[in-house]
Amino acid sequence: LAELGINFDHIWQKTLTVLHPLKVADGSIMNETDLAGPMVFCLAFGATLLLAGKIQFGYVYGISAIGCLGMFCLLNLMSMTGVSFGCVASVLGYCLLPMILLSSFAIVFSLQGMMGIILTAGIIGWCSFSASKIFISALAMEGQQLLVAYPCALLYGVFALISVF
Amino acid sequence: AGPGAAGVGPGRAGVDAVSAPAQGGGSAVIDMENMDDTSGSSFEDMGEMHQRMKEEEEEEAEGEAGAGEEEDGEFLGMKGLRGQLGRQVADQMWQVGKRQASRAFSLYANIDILRPYFDVEPVQVRARLLESMIPVKMINFPQKIAGELYGPLMLVFTLVAILLHGMKTSDTIIREGTLMGTAIGTCFGYWLGVSSFMYFLAYLCNAQITMVQMLSLLGYGLFGHCITLFVTYNIHFHSLFYIFWLVVGGLSTLRMVAVLVSRTVGHTQRLILCGTLAALHMLFLLYLHFAYHKVVEGILDTLEGPNMPPFQRVARDIPVVSNAVLNTTAKAIALTL
Repeated sequence: LAELGINFDHIWQKTLTVLHPLKVADGSIMNETDLAGPMVFCLAFGATLLLAGKIQFGYVYGISAIGCLGMFCLLNLMSMTGVSFGCVASVLGYCLLPMILLSSFAIVFSLQGMMGIILTAGIIGWCSFSASKIFISALAMEGQQLLVAYPCALLYGVFALISVF
Repeated sequence: AGPGAAGVGPGRAGVDAVSAPAQGGGSAVIDMENMDDTSGSSFEDMGEMHQRMKEEEEEEAEGEAGAGEEEDGEFLGMKGLRGQLGRQVADQMWQVGKRQASRAFSLYANIDILRPYFDVEPVQVRARLLESMIPVKMINFPQKIAGELYGPLMLVFTLVAILLHGMKTSDTIIREGTLMGTAIGTCFGYWLGVSSFMYFLAYLCNAQITMVQMLSLLGYGLFGHCITLFVTYNIHFHSLFYIFWLVVGGLSTLRMVAVLVSRTVGHTQRLILCGTLAALHMLFLLYLHFAYHKVVEGILDTLEGPNMPPFQRVARDIPVVSNAVLNTTAKAIALTL
């Protein structure tokens, strides 16, 4: 696995950074583009949706691809230094982890009530907060966290829409 | 360089055969088949010969590796003309591909033109969002329009998200296409299409406004639409929608109209520009509300149940507990006000 470039320790470190919203992100964390973790998370998201009765792998992949492309263009326009597509895809993929929690919750309970709305809003906030935290530490964009968080929130909102309905 | 480079492989054996006696190395057999393997004019022949001579020198420096290549050249030379043609075609395809790639890359470099329009602070965006609902009073002096594209782009995407949410909660079925495609097409089509049309009208009416400013103005005007639709897709009351349409939609329209009036000279021109903009802006909000609302009403005509409030025939709701709670709360507030 080491030959394939899959370093479990790094994957674990990045996962912890995402799951712990208040943990300060290391700027160098995203220097190595690692797509193995995000791939696993996308598959896990699709699998939890499948368990809830929604066969929507195609939508997940399509929306992730288009969303990554959109974020890539926006971040390149907003940051002083450019950013590579792999880096954007990697960060957005890792921050999909809380969304997997939401879709696993949707297997057992329906998310269309008031509690579902509050939970969905919280999870979307968590995902976009983590993603924007990593982006601004990697791209040195102080003071623009809200501006980066909002498009991430829209993207994760679409994922949440798939989970809820 | 094309024919010369392409002719290197099969021709090399011939050259080696020719120059072998002079240098005292390599094969002493002259391969007559390969001697005829040149493309045409003597000019190209000279180019080929020159190329081969250069590569010969490089190969001598390599020594044994050169001998190995010679043998390969001889083997490939058996294919003759077909091999050379294949190499020419491959070379041409490579050139065309490289040209297309460099054109695409220079197109990407043009995206950097958009960079200054995304250089904003969160405070500025918030200020502009609030300003977009406040009509200006001074119309004799050209009002400043922020030429910024981040806010308008985010507002268009927010409108897409709200539309998607509205379509999902009302179980809208789009027969030709997808929900996502419809939402994106509608919102971006409005933003880009109406901006271009208004810019064209502004050009005809001699108004002082650039395309980016027009995009920015119209984009920020969608803030009112976002608020109205967000509220009325969740609380279903016709009267509430009309109030929001007039007040919120009207305020953002007035703001845009005032800014345009301050930048146009002449009564007829002002009337044309502002009338068109106001009409399109307000009608778009009406369209967005009713395009999905009708479906809800159609479905609910058959779902009359005990949850129906007897005294009010308004846009009804899919009988879900939380929505019923919201509705009764809104009604209670409306009655007490």
